[in-house]
Amino acid sequence: MTSELTSAPETASIRVRLRQPARLRNLELVLVVIACAVGGGALVLTQLGALGQTDPGVLMLAGVLAVLVLAMHVSLRLTAPQADPFILPVVTLLNGLGIAAIYRIDLADGDSGWDAAGVRQIAWSSIAILAAIVVIVVIRNHRVLQRYRFVSMFAGIVLLILPMLPIIGHEVYGAQIWIRVGTFTFQPGELAKIALAIFFAAYLVESRDSLSMVGTKFLGIRFPRARDLGPILVIWAAAMAVLIFQRDLGTSLLYFGLFLIMIYVATGRVSWVLMGLGLFIGGAVIAGQVLGYVAGRFRGWLDPFNPEVYDAVGGSWQLVQGLFGMANGGLLGTGLGQGRPDLVPLAQSDFIIASLTEELGLAGLFAILALYLLFISRGFRIGFSGQDDFGRLLGVGLSFVVALQVFIVVGGVTRIIPLTGLTAPFLAAGGSSLVANWMIAAILLRLSDTIRNQPRLVV
Amino acid sequence: MSELTLLLLKLGFLLLLWAFVFAIVYALRSDLFGERVRRMPAPQSASGEQAPYTAAPAADPAPRPVAAASSPGAAAGTARRVVITSGAKAGVELDLDDQPLTIGRSSDSGLVIRDDYTSTHHARLMLWGDEWVIQDLDSTNGTFLDGKRVTAPTPVPLGATVKIGTTSFELRR
Repeated sequence: MTSELTSAPETASIRVRLRQPARLRNLELVLVVIACAVGGGALVLTQLGALGQTDPGVLMLAGVLAVLVLAMHVSLRLTAPQADPFILPVVTLLNGLGIAAIYRIDLADGDSGWDAAGVRQIAWSSIAILAAIVVIVVIRNHRVLQRYRFVSMFAGIVLLILPMLPIIGHEVYGAQIWIRVGTFTFQPGELAKIALAIFFAAYLVESRDSLSMVGTKFLGIRFPRARDLGPILVIWAAAMAVLIFQRDLGTSLLYFGLFLIMIYVATGRVSWVLMGLGLFIGGAVIAGQVLGYVAGRFRGWLDPFNPEVYDAVGGSWQLVQGLFGMANGGLLGTGLGQGRPDLVPLAQSDFIIASLTEELGLAGLFAILALYLLFISRGFRIGFSGQDDFGRLLGVGLSFVVALQVFIVVGGVTRIIPLTGLTAPFLAAGGSSLVANWMIAAILLRLSDTIRNQPRLVV
Repeated sequence: MSELTLLLLKLGFLLLLWAFVFAIVYALRSDLFGERVRRMPAPQSASGEQAPYTAAPAADPAPRPVAAASSPGAAAGTARRVVITSGAKAGVELDLDDQPLTIGRSSDSGLVIRDDYTSTHHARLMLWGDEWVIQDLDSTNGTFLDGKRVTAPTPVPLGATVKIGTTSFELRR
């Protein structure tokens, strides 16, 4: 495209602006239409499988979502024409599959109207897409975010503390990570991960030299000075506080992993990662001894089929039901609407991966994982090709947080790692998770647009 | 709904899902390996596939425009343009804003130089204060500022010749 760059830069830059966008955005439009069709197809198949007929009501609601996704596409055309064309279709399809799986559980439970998690999920999805549109339209340049690093630090900490406040704090299944105002519940920790990623990126851009250059060598690894250790200890303490006071293993792992990977990308020092992992494992082992719920999770992971563990309160019953469901699905699945995913508790949120695997089979699970892989690899690529350090770190951090969350969820459900209560990004029922992940997608889109707007010349 | 129809629909849906995944992978392939970076109408000998890249090193003249550097008005102030002074695209120029400009063979770079001597991520130009600084990103064949190899980030005065592979450029206001 830049082959026409001549010594008259004005015309050249106009030409660049006119030629690229159409191609990328047209590609995106085609893929988005396909993604909406596949998502709608999943809903129709669910209805056919479970009810034997189609029900236009829910399809109409899903149609509203398709219109909103197209609105997002149009706003990208207008404000971020160079943005990555694959993120929006992938996210749309994941969201659509999630809605189909949640709706499936509603059909099995006989929920309808506002009681149905599927309808609420559609409503939350539209809020999330609107939030993503707002992010795309308002943040015209991601470097603005760098200025708000301390604001985001405080926002992150406040969001983390909110669920522990007396009146609005709300406990569900033992984990104190919700706030409730009236009938409205929200999980502020999901938004905190965006705020913390922005803060980490801005902080590390400034301080990475002192983190990577200074320190004493020991066993061939350079260890940082005590005063540079400050931030990592603060984050460790925060992660452990979440673990202890909010009783949420997954979230604390998520925040800590986010910080570790960003510090590793910024400094390129393995010593930080080793030290961080050591701290986390040490903390988790102690927590496993002291905190009952962590020990229970470990037992359920290592020995789930032991009748004693299986029948215990908070034991491995749920995990094993999920495993049975996935085994029932086999290679090609039972078909949408034809399995019994509703036998697993929380089949629409924490165990949505098990529900989808039962009905779509191993082939479907791998397709879903491939979609996540595409999303995350686009994010890493955006980080990799970024021109400024803040954008690079932010891109890597945000996509890694999604990657880690997928690993923790899928690994927990498939018994690779101990089970923790995190939501599968874009799939699982839960408004806060949807809003946060759509905002992450929007920030990545904004980053990719800025990257491709760089002056380009091919020699 | 008969059992068979549902079975066929199930298989069809899985195929559709995978078709979508592979459509994206296919589109990604073209996104990764170019199309966005198109080759120039071949400067001189446009015979073989590799010709435009390898033809350049033959002519490696002493950087002509050193004279231009000492022209009046090039003394102070921040550079706003990069001007290619020798190589396949001599004479072409590129505007600088205050953002870093990456140089390399990869199509992610701000300035893409595709000859055999350029590394994928070769160097970058950054604005430090009001002064442009060139940093070599561990390139194989090095970045040369006025004939000296750049090892640490080095300020680039206006009109000084930066040489990467067979391409030289300089900064101008």
